[in-house]
Order: sequence, then C-alpha cells, then structure tokens
Amino acid sequence: MADAEGRAEGAEGAAAVLARSRSTLRTSVVRPVGSVATRLLEPLDRAASPAAAAFNRSLGQYFGTVTGLQLLVLITTVLALFAAPLWAPYIVGNYLYTLAIACVWAIFAMAWDVQSGYTGYISFGHSALSGAAGYATALLVVNVGPNLPLWVTIPVSVLAALVVGLVVGLPALRLQGPYFSLITFVAVLLFYRLTIGFSEFLGGETGFQEVQAFTYDPTLRFYYMLVPMLLVAVGLTFVARSNVGMVFVAIRENESAVAAAGLNPTAFKLWSFVMSAIPMGIGGVLLAHFSGNVTPSSFVVVNNSIEMIAMAVLGGIGSVLAPIGGAFLFVILRDEVLHGVGHSLRYFTLWMVVLAVLVFARDGVIRRLWHAIGAIGGDSE
Amino acid sequence: MSLLSVEGLTKRFGGLVAVDDVSFAVEAGEIVGLIGPNGAGKSTVFDCLMGVHDVTAGEIRFDGAAITDWPTHRIVTHGMARVSQESNPIGRYSVAANIRLFTLPNSVFSFHGGASDAEIAEYAARVDLDGRLDERPGELPHADVRRLEIAKALATEPDLLLLDEPFAGMNQAEIRTLSEQIESFREAGTTIVVVDHNMGGLMDLVDRTLVLHNGRKLAAGEPDDIVANDAVQQAYLAGEGA
Repeated sequence: MADAEGRAEGAEGAAAVLARSRSTLRTSVVRPVGSVATRLLEPLDRAASPAAAAFNRSLGQYFGTVTGLQLLVLITTVLALFAAPLWAPYIVGNYLYTLAIACVWAIFAMAWDVQSGYTGYISFGHSALSGAAGYATALLVVNVGPNLPLWVTIPVSVLAALVVGLVVGLPALRLQGPYFSLITFVAVLLFYRLTIGFSEFLGGETGFQEVQAFTYDPTLRFYYMLVPMLLVAVGLTFVARSNVGMVFVAIRENESAVAAAGLNPTAFKLWSFVMSAIPMGIGGVLLAHFSGNVTPSSFVVVNNSIEMIAMAVLGGIGSVLAPIGGAFLFVILRDEVLHGVGHSLRYFTLWMVVLAVLVFARDGVIRRLWHAIGAIGGDSE
Repeated sequence: MSLLSVEGLTKRFGGLVAVDDVSFAVEAGEIVGLIGPNGAGKSTVFDCLMGVHDVTAGEIRFDGAAITDWPTHRIVTHGMARVSQESNPIGRYSVAANIRLFTLPNSVFSFHGGASDAEIAEYAARVDLDGRLDERPGELPHADVRRLEIAKALATEPDLLLLDEPFAGMNQAEIRTLSEQIESFREAGTTIVVVDHNMGGLMDLVDRTLVLHNGRKLAAGEPDDIVANDAVQQAYLAGEGA
C-alpha cells in the first residue's frame, strides 16, 4: 500500500518536473524565438497575403485556406524540392538519393493517413498494399515478359493494390477498434509468410531483381519520384478537404452519427480503402522501379507498415500533407543524419524520436509548425 | 394509409424482452407521445424504428415501404430522423459543420455538395441556434447542444421526426420554447413522435399518447384519458416505488 503510494508520488513528482521543464522551455526558448520570428516574418506574411487571398478565393474551397506566410512556405518548399539537384550535391551525404526515397515514403504516409488517420480505423498492414503493387509488377515482368510496357504493368499493379486493399478493408465493415487493427496486422504477416512459403512463385527471401529501374541517373530518378508524389499530394488533399474527407473524419469521431445523417458508413469506409490503395499502388510501383528489386524486406515486412505510421505521426495524423514532412524527417534522420550510427542504435534513436513526438506533440511536428506559421500575422487558423 | 405503422414489434436481448408485441400507427401531421416509466422500452422502440437493432419479430412500415430490415442510413434517406437522448455532436466541427454533415448526399462520388451556408443557417434558425453557427459544440450550454441535435435531424428533411426525451435537463422556460418549436415543425409538415418518461410535460403538446410498460403497450388514447387511466397511474406508482 505504502509502496504503491510512494510509487504514485514518484510518478507525480516526475510529471511535475516534466511540466516545469516544459514551461521553462516555453518561456525561455520558445516564446523569445517565437516573438523574434514573428517580428521578422510578419512583413512577409503581409506581402504575400493578397496572393493568399486570391488562392483562398479560387482554390480555397477545394484545398483549404492558407495565410500569406503559409502560402510562401508552401511555394518555397515545392521550389526547393524541384531545385534539389542544384543544392543537394553541396551537402555532405547522398541527399538526392535520400530525398527520392523520401518522396516514395511520403506517398505511403499520405495514403495511410487518408484511410487510417482520417477514419480512425488504424491499419497496421498497409505495406501489404504497396507490396501487392510491387509484386504484381515483378510477377508480370518475370512471368509475362520483361518488355511489357509501363502502361500495362502500372495500372495492373495499382489494381492489385486496390484488390488487396479491399480484402484488407472488408473486416472494417464488421470489426471496430483493436480487432480491425489486428486483422490488418495479421494480413501483412500472412503476406510475408506467403512470399517465403511459395518461394518458387513469389521469389522467397531474395525476391525479384528483374524489374527495370526507371533510370540510374540520380537527378532524373529524383524527378520520377517527386512529380508523382506532388500529384498524389494534390489529389489526396482534394479528397481530404471534400465532403468525402468530412465523412471520413465523422466516422472516426462518431460513426453512429454518420448513419444517422443518412450516410452509408460501410460504403465510405470501403471508399477510404480505395482512396488509400490507389496511391499505395502508385508508391509501390515507384519503389519497384526505383532500384529494380522487389523483396519481402523492402516491401512486405510489417516494419514497413509501422514506419509509414511513424512518418504520419511525426508529421501529424489526419492532415494528409503533414505526413509528407514526417516522411522527409524520418528518412533524412535515418539515411543521412544517423547514417554513421549502427543499424540498431539508429532505429533505437528513430523510435525514441517517434515516442517523444507521441508524448510531447501528439498532433505532429509539421502540423504544429504549420499552425505556428499560420499564427504569425495571419488571423485565420 | 398511415405514415408509420408498427405491427407486433418484439425485441429480445438474450432472455430480456425489451419490447413485447407492440403495435401502433402514426398518421401524417400528428404529434404522438410515447410515454412510460424508465425501462419501459421506449428508446428500444426508437432503436428498432431507426434500424439500430435487428428486430426479433414484427413489421415496420414507413411511407409506403417495409423498412424492418433496412440499415439506418437508408431509413434516414427515406425520411425518418431521430434525436437521441444523448447528444453526440462532433467536437472538432463548428455548429454549422455539424449540421452540414447531415445534409451531405449519400454518395462516395459527391466531393462537393450538401446544404449552402444560407440553408444551414435556416435549419439552425428553426431552433434559435443561428447566432451560434461558428461556435464549437463544447462551448454551448446544455440546452443549445440539445437544439443542435434537433437541427441536425431537421437537416435530413425528415417526414417523421422521433424525439427521445427532448426536454431532459431543460428549465421551464426552455421547455416552453422547445414545445413551441416542435409545434412549428408540425406546421411545416413534419410528423412527430416524442418520448418522455414523465407524463406531465408532454400532455399539452401531443395529440395522442401511447403508454409502454415493461415492453408492452399499456394504454393508448387522448392525453386526458391517459392521465385519468388507472393502469397508467399504477405503472407509474409502481415505477416510483421500486
């Protein structure tokens, strides 16, 4: 009894210390830095606000509204990404490669988010979807012919992701909460065992190496990944800001209210899998043609599913765009910043970062940044 | 033909018979009271009407269709809406967005559509909520949260509105206002069934009353007759005593 009380006190003490250090951090670091940033950035916000107003008037209802500074940051980021081949070589590391990989994973993180983050039906098995697309491409190349044109293999592979997505999504019609999540988890474990168990057909542990890479030119390859990523971002943002996104969120917040509103929750839940599986398929195809390798470890293993979730968490779940930033953070941390560190320590550090974000900034780093930028000068949210 | 007709409705949960062979009909333009002590089965009847529960036996016909086995969303689209006892607005949406959700077309391909801002303001105005459209449900007083629930139901343009304990937790002035508003819904063409567990508040509002007790239909008739009915008095007294 006394022991338990002591432990409880200890926990309270720790919580108090944590709270105090957070508030110290806030008053002595965040606020001063924030006010300096505000003073510096306010003129920029004002300068860009006519453009933001024009954007909000014309496209706001389709993609959400922005403040002047948010629009500037958005445009600068996109321009910086397009200009990456100009600046990336000057940074130590292999940034053009890393950024290209990050683009593919950004697609996965967004696609996971539009289904799991929005509807609250958390999938632990999304790598089965990208895996289906990657394996479909590899199987077509190996079994049908190495010279199959991309306009055949890409749609068929995306369709494979869609079929697997609907199969994984079907339990969502009957199961809720952890049971649904467990089923998606098991789906990925099954897929992995199938690739090993039917190794003569599915290539086993070493998978397939026969897929033709799009290109080996690092600059061109980067653009092959960046442009589809941006198109997926625009498409999913459109979906997320539409009625459909609104219903997805309502399913997460209060599923019975959706039915009471005369909306078929089953149809919308399946639709969320469609909206997610198509970009997952696109990402899977890109990953297959990135290096030409399709293996269980690069596509199927459950770690991949968890990493997609981690990226979405880092950026901010339920926003589609923030997971892009989360994916870039995660991949750059893993492949560049922590490059010299051993495999285990590297992943240990990464997961600690994810844990820290879950505890201290549950709504995501990128989303917080976005709102902080929006709060400068602007009067909109 | 009646707007709503319920024949031999029975709902069993395991060994418990929550609703036992209940039959009644509601004509277009009526306001019908459904009363009974706590646990009488009133909300279960509503759940069965709305397709929330599968019924054990019986048939429900509404606006010319046998809706017994229909899913909730289809029943709503066909013109029936229910305001539950519990308020469950979506906290992160404004009052206006909460109402808007109930106006969206039931199609996954409908990316844009639903009511305009003016239409949403109109639904809100029918329960005097039009001044609070931009607020979050969490910022509203209890009575306004209840009004929001009614506005959401109205936004589905129902022919038949089921109100489950609409007066619960309201003061006398709020009850009077809400009664007048319910009367105005009827004048606008909506038929209404109101559930309440106490007899008093309802009797001025309703045309006809149906009394449930232990899942069975105990009495039905004009409000005055019901108040004078011995069996009804007994049921309520027994309920109070227990």
